[in-house]
Amino acid sequence: MPTVEYRGMNLVIPENDSEWREHFKLARSHRLMLRGCNACGLLRYPPSHGCPWCVSLDWEWKEVSGRGTIHSYEIVVHAIQPGFKEWAPYPVVLVELDEQRGTPTEHEALRIIANLVTADFKPEAEQNVAIGKRVRVVFQDLTPDFALPQFTLSDEPPVGRVWSLPG
Amino acid sequence: MKSLKDKYCIVGVGETEYSRQSGRSTRAMAVEAIRNAMADAGLGRDGVDGMMSYQSGDSTPSNWVSPDLGLRLNFFMDVVGGGSSTEALVGLAMGAIEAGMCQTVALFRSMNGYSDFRIGGTGARSAQPVRGLDLAQVPFGMRSAGQSFAPTFMRHMYDHGTTSEQVAHVRAAHSRHASQNPKALLKDRVTVQAVLASRWIVKPLHLLDCCLETDNATCFIVTSAERARDLKQKPVFVLGVAGRVSKPRTDFHWAHGPISRVAGYHAKDIVFGQAGVTPEDIDITGSYDAFTFTTMLQLEEYGFCKKGEGGQYVSSGIIELGGRRPNNTSGGHLCEGYTHGMSMVIENVRQLRGRVDDYCPGWAEGRHTYDYSPGKCRQVKNARVTMNLGWSMPPTGSALILRN
Repeated sequence: MPTVEYRGMNLVIPENDSEWREHFKLARSHRLMLRGCNACGLLRYPPSHGCPWCVSLDWEWKEVSGRGTIHSYEIVVHAIQPGFKEWAPYPVVLVELDEQRGTPTEHEALRIIANLVTADFKPEAEQNVAIGKRVRVVFQDLTPDFALPQFTLSDEPPVGRVWSLPG
Repeated sequence: MKSLKDKYCIVGVGETEYSRQSGRSTRAMAVEAIRNAMADAGLGRDGVDGMMSYQSGDSTPSNWVSPDLGLRLNFFMDVVGGGSSTEALVGLAMGAIEAGMCQTVALFRSMNGYSDFRIGGTGARSAQPVRGLDLAQVPFGMRSAGQSFAPTFMRHMYDHGTTSEQVAHVRAAHSRHASQNPKALLKDRVTVQAVLASRWIVKPLHLLDCCLETDNATCFIVTSAERARDLKQKPVFVLGVAGRVSKPRTDFHWAHGPISRVAGYHAKDIVFGQAGVTPEDIDITGSYDAFTFTTMLQLEEYGFCKKGEGGQYVSSGIIELGGRRPNNTSGGHLCEGYTHGMSMVIENVRQLRGRVDDYCPGWAEGRHTYDYSPGKCRQVKNARVTMNLGWSMPPTGSALILRN
């Protein structure tokens, strides 16, 4: 079974995978592609088969800008996975993409989990992580067919209230 | 819709010791816990004909356990699941009996959650291959329960101004309760300051914001009110139950906000509607404390306070023994031991019987001092109605309302 080794983990993507294979392969060409519904036009993440809103099974990959805002985050201090021990403390961010914010209802958005990394794919320092800060996608190439979409701080001004855990 | 209110009861409860080194199999522990619950109910080998359990590949199924108890089953089912399975299975057991499939169901959970398959995600769990929907989170170092929930907690702090100090009161309160519980793994009372001074695990969680990992088995027995009449214990009646009620987008709940909202938002009308009671009528809560924050989030979402005021609620003294509505009077998962929700239902059953197993010499006969100083009593006076709030993940939860 095809696997990608990353930080001691086996990321398993079987030959008959219908969700992730193309997603990570498209990321390898350094494009963030999400599934878009051909019936209602709404994008969705993670890759899925039916549209969560109109239940159409007809979709195609659509490119998004990869720009967004930190909606929430955590700082992992005590890593669980052995391959992350030397990486800790590291931030995990929930990024809200610019496309489709507040659509189709007020609280819905395209959100993605990733690490907040520096230009050389090290974990961003904790004091630079905050809700409201602007980020852009970067691609961490792992194999010729596979890249992980990650995020890095952009130089755009923050959106709304900037907040991080006190202390 | 047909109401099952007052028609089903919990008639027996039992557990093994809570430890970090059981030194035996989940089968051995399950047998002991079920045997204890059957003895508590006054049921012999012809008295239980149904069995249910939940697990995640870390336990022994019903049909391997029941022969050790001499049981021949008319119904059994073992489901995949962790927290929030407890209350859901009460409803399913009622359904199985209502359908005529069986008469009396023993419901158990058995796990070596510390010595074998660690609940915190270290060891064997961390080495599992990553596939399917896990690819959306695990490659980014987000695997354990704490790592998976922390952005929900962080966003609650952002949205509502909740503080670390407020939720630390949950640990402090539960540790006070555990100091009255001979079964509890951690009996020492801890202060809010001690919680805040404990080391970081995954911000905003300190070590003492996190529950224990425990080896144990737990069981309780569900049957009809009719059948309960002939049994040993005063029955505890099911008023309402909601099982694994979910927010939209359980594939990736972050997509459907507000992300600081949890499943109780959708579950509360189901369970309170069946029971015909309101939060004001509840004397004791058992709000799942995988983390201090999960207790707070659920109490708030089920309407024990206004949305956003969970931090004030849990730090007000209301949730402590002697307060208006104590939560997790056994010490819960934070201090008594981690049971995936079972022990919190067992505790509420004992509370409703007036026979909580505290340090009062006459507890078994229902004689309590109501002195809540360390090493004394943890019985709530005149408890009539209790509620369990079962947590699976931010978007999924269960609830159970019981009365005596």
